[in-house]
Amino acid sequence: MTSTPIPGPDAPTPAGREATLPDDGLQQGPLIPPRTATTGEPMIAINAVSKWYGSFQVLTDCTTTVSKGEVVVVCGPSGSGKSTLIKCVNALEPFQEGQITVDGTKVKDRATNLPKLRSRVGMVFQHFELFPHLSITDNLTLAQRKVLGRSPADAEKRGLDLLARVGLSDHAKKYPGQLSGGQQQRVAIARALAMDPVVMLFDEPTSALDPEMVGEVLDVMVELARDGMTMMVVTHEMGFARKVADRVIFMDRGEIVEDATKSDFFGQPRSPRAQHFLSKILSH
Amino acid sequence: MFANLDFGVIVSSLPYLFGQGMVFTVTLTALAASMGVVLGTLLAILRLSGVPGVSHLAKGYVELMRSLPLVLVIFWFYFLVPYIGAWVVRSPTPIQVGAFASALVTFTLFEAAFFAEIMRAGIQSIPKGQTAAALALGMTRAQVMRTVVLPQAFRNMLPLLLTQTIILFQDTSLVYVLSLTDFLGAASKVAQRDGRLVEMYLFAAVVYFLICFTASSLVRRLHSRVAIIR
Repeated sequence: MTSTPIPGPDAPTPAGREATLPDDGLQQGPLIPPRTATTGEPMIAINAVSKWYGSFQVLTDCTTTVSKGEVVVVCGPSGSGKSTLIKCVNALEPFQEGQITVDGTKVKDRATNLPKLRSRVGMVFQHFELFPHLSITDNLTLAQRKVLGRSPADAEKRGLDLLARVGLSDHAKKYPGQLSGGQQQRVAIARALAMDPVVMLFDEPTSALDPEMVGEVLDVMVELARDGMTMMVVTHEMGFARKVADRVIFMDRGEIVEDATKSDFFGQPRSPRAQHFLSKILSH
Repeated sequence: MFANLDFGVIVSSLPYLFGQGMVFTVTLTALAASMGVVLGTLLAILRLSGVPGVSHLAKGYVELMRSLPLVLVIFWFYFLVPYIGAWVVRSPTPIQVGAFASALVTFTLFEAAFFAEIMRAGIQSIPKGQTAAALALGMTRAQVMRTVVLPQAFRNMLPLLLTQTIILFQDTSLVYVLSLTDFLGAASKVAQRDGRLVEMYLFAAVVYFLICFTASSLVRRLHSRVAIIR
């Protein structure tokens, strides 16, 4: 079974979101090397995952799959466990029951080399989390050198190449604090891509941004999705979901309430909770 | 009352006061501070490690040192270090370590407890997201600590570390109990020899004040400079 990450023709974008990138703009060419088309093989398999904080259950029996090349958007009200679930995928959050498999490697297994697994899973955070004491170049190269063992020259070449792709070449020598939120988040995406991940996780990548900067970050993510990157994205940006998502997962109170194709989800959500959520989020 | 004071004694004893006394004070301060920061950082990491035994041991050490008067610790180590040394190298007789080595060990171990608390606050001041981001890139916990957390913690805490070093600079005068000659000790010796107590102790106070006040002012100015822009 093959699903192609092409945006539906019925995908209207909110006004202003189509704005072109400031700075020197996105350069031509893919953000990542070309990959073989979607094979339908699971990249992330989440199987019956449950998690408790003490006696409080934050995740209840969550099961879903993200296939290679697929873009899956996870949405839901705050406190529904969507951020927790995505952090379980690269073991930033431990979980007590169930199993997650990433590209064939079990996340909850003593034999698993977690740093190695994580180095193949890119992650972008709500608050960017660039390292403020390092220049943009050093932010891009640190993990390449320390984790992948690349030479400083190779790491810098890869880092600066990706920095150009997100349109921020002029800022290589600056420090994170000198960049706007949108620029910092684009650097954070480049930093994750520099590790040549097989899958990218986004944890509310635009929630901490001023409205006028949301577009430039989404543009990079759309580009990435069209290049065939496997992505799991926690976001409230329904415009993005409509544009590039293959599937939408709706979570509420720690449960996966709805796991549907994009057209089914926006067309006829089955659960009342998803209907209620959509009516609230799309009404403005 | 100051009519019969003779400040000439200060001028004639300057080479001794600074050439020997101050050099000793500065050397001891610099060595004990740098070694204390390293040991203190280690203690802070152990205390925050969350490993039950290790964490409690580090906490216990810090609490113990912070609860004892420095003079007592200086005495303690002066009489204890030779025996500990003998035990380490399995020597039948106590090892002669000398007063300076003993003082250095004491100040390092004592100050480490205070530096540990500063570094602990520094490490805890770094947002959890920084660690999460570094881990997500595939770094090991040790790499995250070394390349992401500690450099930021150290920078944030530099003013406090330097302020603590200024306090250490003053505290080194306590080595007089081991008959070591630091700056104050040198001034004291001249004072006793020439019977010029008021002049020498006044002069010593002025020197300590000038050095510490200048250093504190510099630290305050540095504070606004090194802060990391977020």
